[in-house]
Amino acid sequence: MAISASTRPKPYLEAEYCKGCLRCIDACPKDCIAQGTEINPATGVVPVVLDLATCNGCGLCIQACPEPYGLRPENERTVDAAGFELEDPAALFGPRDTTAPVPVDIPDRHLPLPASEPLVLKGTYASALGALLAGCRHVFGYPITPSTEGAELMAKVLPKLDGAFVQAVSEVAAVNMMYGCGGAGLPCMTFTSSPGFSLMLEGVSYMIGAELPGVFVNIMRGGPGLGNIGPEQADIKLACRGLGHGNTQAITFAPSTPQEMLDLTRLSFELSFKYRNPVVLLGDGYLGQMTGVVRLPSTFTKPGLPAWAVWGDRDHRRNLVSSIHLSEPDLEQHNLHLLGKYGAMIRDEQRSDLYRCDDAEILLVACNTPARMAKGAVEDLRRKGIKAGLFRPITLWPFPIDALKAVLPGVSRIVVVEASPGQLEDELRLALDRADVARPPIDHVQRYGGILPQQFEIVDKVLSLCPVQSGEVMA
Amino acid sequence: MSATCEFQAKDYRSDLKPIWCPGCGDFSVVASIYRALAAIGRPPHEIAFVSGIGCSSRIPGYTTAYGFNSVHGRALPIAQGIKLSSPELLVLAAGGDGDGFSIGGGHIAHAIRRNMDLTYIVMDNQIYGLTKGQLSPTSQKGRITCTSHYGSLEAPVNPLLYVLAYGAGFVAQASPTDIAGMAAIIEEAIRYPGFAFVNIQSPCVTYGEEAQQIKGLKAISESLAALGHDSADRLAAMDLAQHYGSKLHLGVFYRDPDPAPTYGDLVRDRQALLSQGALPKERILDLFIKS
Ligand SMILES: Cc1ncc(C[n+]2csc(CCOP(=O)(O)OP(=O)(O)O)c2C)c(N)n1
Ligand code: SF4
Ligand code: SF4
Ligand code: SF4
Repeated sequence: MAISASTRPKPYLEAEYCKGCLRCIDACPKDCIAQGTEINPATGVVPVVLDLATCNGCGLCIQACPEPYGLRPENERTVDAAGFELEDPAALFGPRDTTAPVPVDIPDRHLPLPASEPLVLKGTYASALGALLAGCRHVFGYPITPSTEGAELMAKVLPKLDGAFVQAVSEVAAVNMMYGCGGAGLPCMTFTSSPGFSLMLEGVSYMIGAELPGVFVNIMRGGPGLGNIGPEQADIKLACRGLGHGNTQAITFAPSTPQEMLDLTRLSFELSFKYRNPVVLLGDGYLGQMTGVVRLPSTFTKPGLPAWAVWGDRDHRRNLVSSIHLSEPDLEQHNLHLLGKYGAMIRDEQRSDLYRCDDAEILLVACNTPARMAKGAVEDLRRKGIKAGLFRPITLWPFPIDALKAVLPGVSRIVVVEASPGQLEDELRLALDRADVARPPIDHVQRYGGILPQQFEIVDKVLSLCPVQSGEVMA
Repeated sequence: MSATCEFQAKDYRSDLKPIWCPGCGDFSVVASIYRALAAIGRPPHEIAFVSGIGCSSRIPGYTTAYGFNSVHGRALPIAQGIKLSSPELLVLAAGGDGDGFSIGGGHIAHAIRRNMDLTYIVMDNQIYGLTKGQLSPTSQKGRITCTSHYGSLEAPVNPLLYVLAYGAGFVAQASPTDIAGMAAIIEEAIRYPGFAFVNIQSPCVTYGEEAQQIKGLKAISESLAALGHDSADRLAAMDLAQHYGSKLHLGVFYRDPDPAPTYGDLVRDRQALLSQGALPKERILDLFIKS
């Protein structure tokens, strides 16, 4: 039986489901549909308006509408609009049915390391050794000066330790190999330098989203762009404020000696697993190449396996690592969870080194190799009768504001010393601002382009400031 | 593009003195490029020469063309951007085997697919020179380098088969064992209308293996012309290309006898079809607002 025009249902608009795409307007041969003018308060978009005087119920608009419930036939209006509930895709099929046991944490074991004489190592080697002692057996890298020696050492030793080094085809591939290895719950790392670190950031964001561990040693070189292979500190902004897209943070260490390269790399692995989050270790080009005495710890780690690992056996069957959360409320919850972790890091992981800060009136703030120049400057200035001290952040993120706050009352001036156009200073200023503490004036000594600030430049700067500072009273 | 004798090889040589190691194969490549460009006769300011990063990628700086020693692995995208915006330019791209087939490997297939009218020259030394001797995607399996101390476990990429498989219209190989031949091949590649690829076995005297030095290359080299290879036969070319690594075939593997239109041609055709004399600027909004 043919349906006549008069019996064909006309359309009606479910305004809350209309996204205002206007496709129906083009589809209607009778010009019954027009662009609306009123914003729908529930959706924030402007739905179309219908005037069905000439409508013949052809149904073309319903077909044209890409929304399942935007335009509907009048005779189906009986269905309560409130009945169109979006279903949470995660709940569609209910919980996964598995008889697999609930996985349990296999804890790390800390075994005694035979005592040995201190070694003399370059920074990248010290970092590699720290990683080995932390139980890292998987290293993924792409050669780039001045970081490559770390990877080369790993390429040499890992095969003898049941491990593997893979030279990836690029930094993009390297970071995603880390995604895979970290997802399996194993400690892994890379050595890179600034341009390579830039390329890795997409992957870092994914790893943070998926809550995966991994250690990134970035031996910073001169930038932007190809720049040069001299030492710089201009990736502080990337590590502290720009780890790829989205709500990302990672503990960021700034060692200043080969010893710290070892100790902090070890610690990076521990914290990376503790928080299930990548950890970044920023060195500068000199620190990577500089040799120094390195004392070994008394233990080394044999990693266990975290319960969350997607290990690929029956026990870990129910585990999932993923950074996708399609439903907005879920993703908001996930972000709140990440913020909770970041909050815990800010609370518990600030680290700093204070040198002659107790009575310091001039406080130098510096990290990495420039901190060594600043330390020399403190000595020099003290000899000249100026009460200088060095505040050295060891974590750049979280910035060690608590320790800084404690010494600020006696300080009349801060001088930030860095090989970057104020990226360390920005972290300092932001931390001070967030902590809402009164602060003395901030000055700086900066060098760029692969050149580090020299001790005499710091001393000269402070001397140039001192006459001004003499009569000043702290607010 | 009128071929005149106005230019000589020296007109394409810049004042920069190459800082390659003495004996590096790349010297002969740049010399061949000077010769090829002189034969073609385009003035240097009508040539854009883009490279990635590596020892070999320093090459544009040693020419008087507009040069760009760009981003590691990204010579081809940059060259394509230049060619699209300035179709009249003669665009050359060059770099090392790492630059081209490792970090930049993903770009090659797509430049070929688009049939961009570019000439891409890879100085293949089977090693990372600039970063001091790591494994390259063309290193032989078993090769010992500072990132493969016990010998590489990976089979090498075959650059010739790779580009042939993706449908490049012009594929050739050259080496410093025959410099005159190299210049002629580069010239032919540049003249080819469409994507042209030249693989050049260019020995690294500092980190390269003995077998990849001039003497070793001579021992395995064979002229494709002397073999009677028909460069219009793509399958025969692929057959010969399989011997990459064990034999050094010099000459043109494949030259499409009926070159397909280039991406630039197609873009201009499309523009002509759709714009029919572009809209005057003040009417651009007509495209968005329904009358
Ligand atoms: C993103 C990025 N990663 C790594 C590097 C370091 N790098 C510079 S050149 C190069 C490879 C050089 O090898 P190849 O391309 O074969 O050229 P050759 O030096 O042998 O001519 C690498 C890894 C870089 N410049 N940028
Ligand atoms: S049913 Fe047909 S005539 Fe009626 S509004 Fe939709 S398209 Fe227009
Ligand atoms: S096609 Fe559907 S969603 Fe688009 S304007 Fe019309 S009713 Fe709204
Ligand atoms: S290291 Fe090798 S590729 Fe680089 S300039 Fe020297 S010989 Fe040439």
